[in-house]
Amino acid sequence: MTLIDLVVEKIVKIPLQSKDKPDILRELVRILKDAGEIDDFDSVLKGIQDREDKQSTGLEQGIAVPHCKSAAVASLKLAIGIAPQGIDFDSLDRQPTNLFFLLVASPELSGPHVEALAEIAKLARSKSFCKALVNAENAQEVVELLKGT
Amino acid sequence: MSNPIKKIMVYVDGTEQSVTAAQYAICLASFSGAELIAHYVVNTRAVEDLLKARIFLKDEQVEYEHDMEADAERYLNYINELAIKKGVSIIKKRSRGNVHKEIADSIEADDVDLLVIGELSRIRSRRDEFFDETERAMRAVPCSVLIVKDEDRVWEMYESLV
Repeated sequence: MTLIDLVVEKIVKIPLQSKDKPDILRELVRILKDAGEIDDFDSVLKGIQDREDKQSTGLEQGIAVPHCKSAAVASLKLAIGIAPQGIDFDSLDRQPTNLFFLLVASPELSGPHVEALAEIAKLARSKSFCKALVNAENAQEVVELLKGT
Repeated sequence: MSNPIKKIMVYVDGTEQSVTAAQYAICLASFSGAELIAHYVVNTRAVEDLLKARIFLKDEQVEYEHDMEADAERYLNYINELAIKKGVSIIKKRSRGNVHKEIADSIEADDVDLLVIGELSRIRSRRDEFFDETERAMRAVPCSVLIVKDEDRVWEMYESLV
């Protein structure tokens, strides 16, 4: 399974409603909960928060990749959130973050977890593509952009 | 006519698709008498890329590589058990690095006739970033490649093997 297999409308939220980092993390995990992808909201949120506490996953160019391993999931789970107005996510370049890829994986799927993160890292190199995602009108458009359809 | 397939390699990456591929490869090895190698590549290249991209911290690199080595051990042992159950002996192989390159190099070094892999993603994105390692391996190797599909049918075939 690759990242593209995980991209469906129900795991995409645009625009995100939250205004600060703690709320954004909650909102991203909520995407997975509402989509029926996770049961244990608190456990997954804690895993994501623990990782953020070590160092922000806010990269350059307005992208963040919050991630963690969690025994609360049996496979790989992806949520995509887009905040066109930008959020202060304590990113490496101190710029607002617009594009969030949240990834949670079972501890026994380290290989697929790493490969999914690597795919996101490659996507993040394309400024024009990231801009297109941020400017998308709805979840359907985000999915179509990612699947190249 | 002598058997054209003397050596089979099945690529294992912990996915359900690769386990199905292994079951098929076991059946094929049993019928043909070919030697069977199960190969797992610990994708250290991807981990290095994540460290460079600053998505991973240094301790994450160590942690995930350790986990991936443990995954490799676990999945190769599982495939070995599947093979033993059907009286097929299997060579377990593990390497580290860039997945599709390691597979291609291994196939050349071991003179493999057939690479067996699991079903690829059904979604064919035009974006290059979404080419997965299994697909890259399929394109890179010098030998023939068999892509295994239909998990239920393969399971029946494997179960019926005596």
